[in-house]
Amino acid sequence: MEEKQLNEKESLELIAQMIRNTQLRIEKGNGIPFLIWGYTTVLVSLAVWYLFSTTGNPNWNYLWFLIPVIGFPAMMWAIRKQEKGVKTYIDTVISYVWIVLGIAGLVVSASAVFLWNLPILFIVVLMMSSGTAITGLIIKFKPIIFSGFAGILLSFLCLIVKGYESILLFALIFLVMMVIPGHILNWKGRSHV
Amino acid sequence: MFKPLDPLLHSELRLAIISILLSVEEADFVYLKEQTKSTSGNLSVQIDKLSEAGYIEVKRGFVGKRTRTVCKITRVGIKAFEEYVESLKGYLNLNK
Repeated sequence: MEEKQLNEKESLELIAQMIRNTQLRIEKGNGIPFLIWGYTTVLVSLAVWYLFSTTGNPNWNYLWFLIPVIGFPAMMWAIRKQEKGVKTYIDTVISYVWIVLGIAGLVVSASAVFLWNLPILFIVVLMMSSGTAITGLIIKFKPIIFSGFAGILLSFLCLIVKGYESILLFALIFLVMMVIPGHILNWKGRSHV
Repeated sequence: MFKPLDPLLHSELRLAIISILLSVEEADFVYLKEQTKSTSGNLSVQIDKLSEAGYIEVKRGFVGKRTRTVCKITRVGIKAFEEYVESLKGYLNLNK
């Protein structure tokens, strides 16, 4: 492409073509954030479940904070590595949704550990599944929408199941809600939607 | 009477840059180069012209050791683009 003068028709065609090319390129799906947070949560949950249930020592609950400690740097690394040269309005909206949920999740988790006795597993699953459903609706990707709403429903099981098993349930919900749809998103992209 | 077409936008490469930036929040130099299939030198000159006119905002930074130039359309650029399209419609008799 050079700096040449266009006639009016060519101008309109060029505008349409550039917008269309951009839209096609950003259609590619990206499940990496779901996989990072999903796997981190599942692995940390399993570690807490194993150590807490075998020793009975509640101090192992501090290990929950490994989720943000591992998750945030991993996300920063993934963002840098995946630099796609373009940022869309959808990217920004989704990142705002998760920044808000991440801050709220961290505050409520810290409150549950240090201040009050809260049904924290229920609250965290409800918050994160809502975020998943919102993300799915924004990117119009059915498996993510479905897993988000499934997570919302499954979160109530965390109020029913008690004891060490509730941690295993928590891990299972994250597996269903984030890890599996994250892989589907990576595999299929959004081209088929 | 036909409105004159903005000479800054009525050029293939500058119009392509503005059209891309209108549909995304921001795009870097490499992305714009790929999409417009232009040379680095020419793209750089056209980006500077659009930036000097206030149509786009250019941020230069680093990613690791590489420099990265990120462009974003401004309100002035959006308005200029809208006016340009309105003028085009006039020329093409699309205004009813």
